[in-house]
Amino acid sequence: MSNNISEVVKLKRRLYIELLKLVKSGNLTAEISSLSERMITKDTPRYRCCEFKERAIFDERIKAVLGFNIAENKDRGLEELAASFPRQQKISSVVEVIDMACDSCTIDKYIVTDACRNCVAHKCVNACPVNAIVIIQNKAYIDQEKCVECGKCARACSYNAILENQRPCSRACELDAISSDSNRQAKIDGDKCVSCGSCIAACPFGAITAVSDLIEVAVNLFAEESKLAVMLAPSFLGQFGHQQSAAKVKYALKKIGFELVREVAAGAEITAAAEAEELTEKIEANETLFSSCCPAFKSMVENEFEELSALISSTDSPMAVTAAEIKSKNPRFKTVFVGPCTAKKAEALKDKNVDYVLTFAELLALFTASNINLAQITKEEKFEDAGELGRQFAYAGGLQKSLQEMVAADFESKQVDGLGKLKKELLLIKADKHKYNFLEGMACTGGCVGGPFSMINQNLAKKLVKVFARTQ
Amino acid sequence: MSKNTLKICIGTPCHLMGAADLMESVENLNHKLREKIELKTSHCIDNCCEKAPVAEFNGKVYQDLNPEKLDKIIRENIK
Repeated sequence: MSNNISEVVKLKRRLYIELLKLVKSGNLTAEISSLSERMITKDTPRYRCCEFKERAIFDERIKAVLGFNIAENKDRGLEELAASFPRQQKISSVVEVIDMACDSCTIDKYIVTDACRNCVAHKCVNACPVNAIVIIQNKAYIDQEKCVECGKCARACSYNAILENQRPCSRACELDAISSDSNRQAKIDGDKCVSCGSCIAACPFGAITAVSDLIEVAVNLFAEESKLAVMLAPSFLGQFGHQQSAAKVKYALKKIGFELVREVAAGAEITAAAEAEELTEKIEANETLFSSCCPAFKSMVENEFEELSALISSTDSPMAVTAAEIKSKNPRFKTVFVGPCTAKKAEALKDKNVDYVLTFAELLALFTASNINLAQITKEEKFEDAGELGRQFAYAGGLQKSLQEMVAADFESKQVDGLGKLKKELLLIKADKHKYNFLEGMACTGGCVGGPFSMINQNLAKKLVKVFARTQ
Repeated sequence: MSKNTLKICIGTPCHLMGAADLMESVENLNHKLREKIELKTSHCIDNCCEKAPVAEFNGKVYQDLNPEKLDKIIRENIK
């Protein structure tokens, strides 16, 4: 997912830095209202009609970075929100559409372009199973009322004149959770959405965003109000820059003010051990167990395959285990999970031990705003929290591998990554057409290293995780 | 033999703005071009972190890059 950081993504990351500088200088409330004017001028790249609309959208984006749901806080000003830290309001949904930024892309999935020659063959008319295509004024015309969006016409046309024109957000959503409202703007169905984050990465207008914990973490960190423990997802290797070692990252996190730095891989080892026990029982009973570490996969099973939800392992996720361990030793610490994942934000809302969730980019912005350049740091502090069994959770197939090693009995298992593929697999399981005792489900293709907020190529990330997993 | 030097900044501000994409795009250059370039990394180029990501090609500094811009710079200036 790392490829092509767009201008929209860059703008968002510059916004993180500017907001963090304001928090640091104590001027957040005083200067937040003028931030969009300062950052968006006549000369900055513009995508909308005028800089005024651009600024209005930017103000909405600021609300999400501050950590507030946009729709619910439509009528509250930025100053009011900035003055209300620590937030009292609960976050109702993690992934949200910035209505004003949504360009209302066309809803019609198939459209006939000018390349149509009104040929004699009329393959499109013949291919259409519902007679939705007629010829009007020398050109094929699709009756959108009748069209069932099967795509046969597009495939049949000899001139490629029929275009599939799906919105990037709904194409990215494997669970059909995105529809359009009466203004043709994207709408997310909260009952279907599992906060996987695919739509956020897919929208070229940057119109879908995740509510962030960044500013509240910064308020805690800079004001030294409470001690913070940072928990790094197993996929963190290489995410902080070319050749920036894990040990250097740990040193830098302490330097910036985090009291404790833990690998979530430590929790993953405990998760794996508990899941191995559960699985042993299931194998004896010849039943099937689903992994529970990916919250997006878990939510999908619960939302769409309720009858299979009993098969999900009852073991807590590595993040939950790591956070519980930290809190039991240091009850007054606040815990911050850092990873490439949006679904963890949703999981954290239901877990009292996880206070905040950040993405790698948000943490990097925190370094940048504090003038810490990892490339210029030479000191290191070694990680000794976990071994291979926990660290390899970062990529698809890693958990399966750990369990194959930990469970004494012989068993068949399967690993599936990607929500679309998982949905198909679950249909097979529902029809009892599977022959294994364990299913490892990861919502993102490639597992966590392929998460929507990964900073580097996932093949490289997997390689780095593997090397790290084997170092003692 | 490589006659050209490309230095990519891998400092934190540049990494945040896509230095990893630049590194990857260089590795994906076609073989003929790639072998003419010596790739180096830098901790900071010119202190222009506000215009990240930054790279230097044959002594000249380029700011606010992306893989497409870098590709063009390399093709237009390669010796």
